[in-house]
Order: sequence, then structure tokens, then C-alpha cells
Amino acid sequence: MEEQTFVSKARTAFHSAAAKAERVLLDFKSDREDHDKQSSPNTFTGQQPEAESPHTNENDSKLRSELKHIKWRPPHLGIKQDWQDRIKNIRRGRKEVEDTDKVGDASMAVPFYDDNLYLLNMKNDLEAKASEAIPSVESLTAATKDPIPPSSVLKQLAIAVEAGSKAKSMKDLIASSGVSSPARERAGLSFSAVKALVLREKEDKLTSEFTSNEKVVQLINSLFDPEGDFLRRKINSNLEETAMTSLPRDIHGAPPESLVVKLAEILGNYKTLRKMALFWCRVVAELRKLWSEEQYLPGVPQNEIPDLKSCLLYQHFQVINCCISRKRFRIIATESLDSMMMQANSDIKESTDCCAGAPASPVLYARLNSGELVLRLGADHPAGDMTLLETGEPVYSPITQEGPLLTEDLIRETEEFVLRTGSVGAGCSQLLSDMQAFKAANPGCILEDFVRWYSPPDWTDNEASTEDSDVFDSGEPLSTRGQLSQRMQKEGNLWRELWETSKPVPAVKQAPLFDEDLALEGILNAFEDIHPSDLFGQLFVSLLGLGFAIAEPMLSSNSDFSKLFYDCKEYIIVACQNNKLNEKVDDLVQVYETVEKMLLDPEEALKMIRQTEESTMVTGEPRSPFRTLSLIFGGKDKLLRKSVSKDQTNDEEKSGRQSFSSFFDSKSSLFGKKPPKSGFPSPSAKSSIDTGWTVV
Amino acid sequence: MDSSSTQEFEYLFKLLMIGDSGVGKSSLLLCFTSDSFEDLSPTIGVDFKVKYLTMEGKKLKLAIWDTAGQERFRTLTSSYYRGAQGIIMAYDVTRRETFTNLSEIWAKEIDLYSTNPECIKMLVGNKVDKEGDRVVTKKEGVDFARECGCLFIECSAKTRVNVQQCFEELVLKILDTPSLLAEGSKGNKKNIFKDKPSQTNATSSCC
Repeated sequence: MEEQTFVSKARTAFHSAAAKAERVLLDFKSDREDHDKQSSPNTFTGQQPEAESPHTNENDSKLRSELKHIKWRPPHLGIKQDWQDRIKNIRRGRKEVEDTDKVGDASMAVPFYDDNLYLLNMKNDLEAKASEAIPSVESLTAATKDPIPPSSVLKQLAIAVEAGSKAKSMKDLIASSGVSSPARERAGLSFSAVKALVLREKEDKLTSEFTSNEKVVQLINSLFDPEGDFLRRKINSNLEETAMTSLPRDIHGAPPESLVVKLAEILGNYKTLRKMALFWCRVVAELRKLWSEEQYLPGVPQNEIPDLKSCLLYQHFQVINCCISRKRFRIIATESLDSMMMQANSDIKESTDCCAGAPASPVLYARLNSGELVLRLGADHPAGDMTLLETGEPVYSPITQEGPLLTEDLIRETEEFVLRTGSVGAGCSQLLSDMQAFKAANPGCILEDFVRWYSPPDWTDNEASTEDSDVFDSGEPLSTRGQLSQRMQKEGNLWRELWETSKPVPAVKQAPLFDEDLALEGILNAFEDIHPSDLFGQLFVSLLGLGFAIAEPMLSSNSDFSKLFYDCKEYIIVACQNNKLNEKVDDLVQVYETVEKMLLDPEEALKMIRQTEESTMVTGEPRSPFRTLSLIFGGKDKLLRKSVSKDQTNDEEKSGRQSFSSFFDSKSSLFGKKPPKSGFPSPSAKSSIDTGWTVV
Repeated sequence: MDSSSTQEFEYLFKLLMIGDSGVGKSSLLLCFTSDSFEDLSPTIGVDFKVKYLTMEGKKLKLAIWDTAGQERFRTLTSSYYRGAQGIIMAYDVTRRETFTNLSEIWAKEIDLYSTNPECIKMLVGNKVDKEGDRVVTKKEGVDFARECGCLFIECSAKTRVNVQQCFEELVLKILDTPSLLAEGSKGNKKNIFKDKPSQTNATSSCC
């Protein structure tokens, strides 16, 4: 008898400890008191054998309560529950503890039943926990059968946006949740507390293995699979293309089916901020790997300059793919140039041996006035029917360097930099680069040839000489001499200065105007240091845009719902164009839930609309879009909103300065590669200096 | 800009000038900011000037960006469309091509790169002092402006006719637009614009 009692107590304590490990400290203290109370009746009952027959009746009632318990907690695979459900779960948890203790009592009469029930509960809990904790490719693929992403996913992103505004960085988000928990657990050194600590240490180990978790690896592979159709939903293409693409840009989101939207859906399925942060770090690591292997990101255009109307994250992805395209092109162009030069050398040898002067077709030459043949470097294609003024050779357009890829943050910094310093270096760098490429492709050219190609309005053909002279045999107007525009002929014209400075260097051999490696390093570092509210805010808006883009063709033709849908759409556009997203996420989630209900549960949505209309009629007020929404959402409680803290503002300034200095370093690196030159005057002084400039 | 670099202002507006090369954008800007005329060398990339003025009782600072019209500079200049409250589309009344390209090229650039749906656009026909060489009539300009939904004015940077009115009309329209007015006021809060470089004649090396 005494031995059985001891075993029962041990089982109860162990199970209670396991259950309590999942709850906050407050619940922990409260449940411990309940446990102590339960212990005393257990001992008392054990000493009265005559009471066994009433226990039998109690067993029946407990069995029924267990069945209810099972019904109470059906598992939701991969779906995040809202706050109210969380509260309900906490209450159910308490009941669960009581039920478990009662089951412990029952072990006095039916030990075998208790063992089976215990194992079943443990198994169910573990399975449910494992399923909920880690989203998988299978669960997310199943979710795509819904017409639009579940509102629970958007809600989790909303929670992350609000919580993220309190954290300083993603790394802080990971570190803080790891450090503080053990400290709290050490406050209580009871047996249960020690058990909880052990479980949490196991969780820490589990977290450190997060990145190598099989499901996470599968998610990463599916997300970056260029051939796969992971997270692809049916989007009705009957609707006008303009309407389909305009909404995501109006709210500064990302295009439907893009990498950003898929990333948003994955992150929104994780239950904890910590795991969301860890998955993001895993994504950044994958981006580094793709860049080092020069592999394109799927779901992002391969060679488009950043779309400033999309979110910054999408712009950065565009830059990554564009840089990969440029790197590949430069490799091809460099190899082509090198092989041409090798062939030219071999041609020279052959001509020496065989006296055959005919060059091979891919090698291009230009003949100077002296009769010397000079190799054209970096020539792309003939420039129409233009010929060089002095030599009569055809003019070739050179391969030129492309300009910088600027996202909205870099544009802002560039603009502020120019305003501060008066620097117009970017334009000069590009012009010099183009002049050097033109010289390499057109040996024997002069500035006038370049201007005719680069800035046609600054060249005027000499009609008078054409009329007067019969000497010119050529009938082509471009061949007759003309003159530069008056403004181009001015003393001290910077174009001529640059022309005299430039050397014939093909574009692929020049110092880069835009250093892809430097730019990508800046972007990836920015990803690692991104502020949580910035990241989750962009993902939230992007997923919101996807839902509305998909829903629009389905609801716009529905006479019952089209009015309400367009009211909701107008609301989110206005809300997202406002800069204070943190204050709007709760409202936006409710608007999204309304659209979701219209799609998934039309009858209930219809009732809601009718109730709203009745309310409007009762009040006698005219309907307006936002008034309608207020009536719908007015009855719901909203979470407290907090304004942007001063620390966050400082962080933003710091981040801006870092990027700014990075930009400046890039420019310094660029200028440092050129020969030293006297300082260029600022625009205000430029006019006066130009006037007095004397060419020695 | 030297004497006024520390001038106080309540609103900061960004204006952008676009159009074919050689229509006189830089001369227009010089005329407005310095009340002088010069046949300026072609702009390389992007240039800017700052102008302080008071309108409707408000102290304004205008950052006016002058862009090169050559095609090769278009990628570089496209960055400066972002956030502009006013855009001046300039053409030369003596060269029809510069007028045609406004709808062929420059209006499309605005659609692509402007991030401000309510920005005020102004069509400006320059070089009206060369009346004998005119090939684009005023009526054509008016019709295009109406079709495009923008303001319209003809002027001459050389004779200074209508240049002040051109910029002032644009700014007045911006002041009448609540969202643009709010943006101008918001921009004022950025510290970076209040931090002036210690040297007013600061120079920087390029190329």
C-alpha cells in the first residue's frame, strides 16, 4: 500500500512538472498551490478502505470528462491561434492539471488504466507540440488550397510587427528569449522548477539545431527552388493586369507570387518570434550562398532596376539578381575580349608567316590616317551609318558600363550627400567611362565624333559648306563637317576636359562604376542587422497585398460583396500609405478577416452586412466607406498601441549613418583609383570659375 | 547660396527638371536662382540649386534638381524622380523633336520613376525669344498640357520672360495640395538638412 502511494505521487509530480513547463511563472505558482491541496486529500482517502465503492462512480464521471478534454483540444496543424484562443488554452491547461491529479487518485483502484492514459496523453501532447511548433512543406502546401492565405498567418506577422518594435535587432530577439528564461526559472528551486529548467535546456539545444532541422531545410529548399510551384495559388488572370499589379505597389508591398510574399507566408506560420528570427537568419545565409554561387533568386526578375514602389526588401532582392546578371555578362564580355585579342595576336603571327593580311571576321580593326590598323576593343555594334570625321571609318557604339543600382534608401542618401557636398561626381564618372569606351572602340576619333554619338543636339552639320563645295564626293550628310554647339565650344567646358583626360579603355577593363560585391555585402549586412519591425512590417504588407489581389477577381463580380470589398481595399491603401504601420496592423488584420469571411463563409458575411446596413438605417447617417468599417470593427477590443520609442529613432539614425558611410567609402574607393586631381568646384562657384577659366 | 546657407525655412520642396538635352533647363534654373543668363555647358548627370523664398506667408526652401537630357544619363537621373513634389517638363519651341519626346519619352519616365502620385507637373516651352524660328505653337502646348493634366507656360531664359512666374506658379500649386504641403513640412524635421557643412565653399573631388 505504501509503495503504491509513493509511485502515484511520483507520476503525478512528473506529469505536473511536464505540463507546467509550458506555462508562465504566474500559472506555475498558482498550479503548485493546487497541487499541494490535491496531495492532502489523496493521503486521507488512501487510509479509508470502505470508500472504494464511491470511487467507482467517480471513475465513470472522470472518464466522461476525459472524453470532453480530448474534444476540447483538437490539433490545428501549422495554424496559429489568436490571442483569445491562447487565453482559452491557458484555462484548459488548468483544467487539464486538475484532471491529471484526479486521474492520479483513480490509480488507487485501477493502476493499469492509469498507465495507458498517461502514455496516451504524453504521446498526444508531444505530437501536437511537434506539429504546431515547426511548419513543414506539407502543411504549407496543404494551406495553399485555401483561396487566400489564412488570416492567422497575417495575425502572427502583426504580432511580430508590434513585438518587433520593442526589440532592437533580430539578434536581440533571438538572444533575449534565450537568456531571460533560465534566469526566471532559477528563482524557484523546487523539484518542479528543476524539472522545468531541464526541459528548457533541452529546448535550447533544440533551438541551436533549428537550422539543421529537416523540416527547415526542406522549407528553405522549396522556397528557393526556381522550378517548384511551392506556395503557388490560383490567381484569376481574367482581371485586367493593371488592377492586379497596382494594389501591391499602392501599398508599397511586393508583387504576388514573388519571393517576398512566399517568405511572408512561411514566417507567419511559425509560432514564436524567436523561431521567426532564426528562420530569417537561415534565409540570409542561403542568400549569401546563392550570391557566392551566382545563382538567381526565384520569384524576382533577373535584370530589372529596383522598383521604388515596391517594399525595400523586394528592391534589395531585385538588386541581388541584377548584380548576378551583370557579373555573368562581364565574364562573357571579358572572355570575348580576351579571345579577340589572342586571335589578333595569332593573326599577326600568321600574317608574318603567310603574308595574308585578311583578319578573321570577329576581330575588328580601324585604319588610321597613317594607314596603320588598330584593333577595336569593346565595340558592340555600328552606330547607324555614322563615320569618323577624320578617318572616315565607321563609328561603333561601344559596350558601356551600367549605372548604379539604387534602392530607395540609397537614393535618399545619395541625394543628401549631393546636397551637402555639392558633388556631381556620379555624372562625371559615367561620362568619363563612356568616353574611354568610345575611344577604345573607335581608334582615331575626336571629341566631335563622341558628341555626335552621345549628344546629337550638340552637333550641327555645316549646310553652307555642303552647298558651296563640290569637293566632297560623299553624299551622306553625316560625313560632311559641321560644328559643335555654341555651348559645347565654350572655354573651360568640362566635356572637353574629360575628353582630354580619358584613355582608350574598354568598359570591361575599367574600374567599375558600381561595385557589385560591395553593394551585395552592404545588402546582406543590412539583412542581418534589419530591425524586426521593418522586416515583419514589409512582409505583413506584402502578404496583405497578395490576399487582396487574389480576392479581387472573385468578389468584384459578386453583387452582394463587391461594395464592401472595395471599401476594404480603399481602407488598406490609405492605411498602408500612412507611415505609422505599427498603429494600423490590428485594424488591417480585421479588414483582412472580413475579406476572408466573404470568401470562406459567405452566408455569415452576408448576415454581418445586413446587420451593418440595419444599424446604419437606424442611426440615419449616410454611409461612407470608413463609417461602414467602423461599424463592423467598432465592437472589438484593440491591443494597446505604443508610439515609436526614442531608442528606435536613434537606432534608425545610426543605421542611416552606417549606410551613409558605406556609400561614402564606396565613392572614396572609386575616386582613389583615378589619378589625383585638383578639387572640383561646387556648383555655386562653378559659373564664376568657368567664366574666368583659361586653358594653358 | 553662400549667404543664405543658414537661412531658416518652414517647408522644403523638391523640384525636378527634365526634358531633352539643349532645351535650356540649366539656363532656366540659373535665371530663376541668379537672375542671369548664360549659355551653359551641357549638364553632366545631375546638378542642383537651392532657392529660398517666401510665398503666401510661408518660408520655403526649394531644392531644384537639374538633369542631363542625354539618353545615357537616364538611369542615373531616374533616381531623382523619387519624392519630387514638382516636375518641370521642358521643351524648345524651335525644335519640334523636343516637344514630341515629352510624350514619347519623358512622360513615360515620370510614370516609371515618380513615387509621388500627386506631384505637380508643369509643361514649359522655352526660347520664345526666337519667335522667327518657332515650330511649336502655343496652342499645341496648351492642348498637350490639358491632355497630360499639367500646368503650362511659355518663357525665355535669355530674356527672362516668365521664368519667375514659371517656378512660382508651380510652387503655388504645390502649396495648394495638402499631401504635398505635409511632405514639405515633414522633410523639415530631418536633421541632415539643418546640418550645414562648415565650409560654405566646400569642394569635393570627382573623376
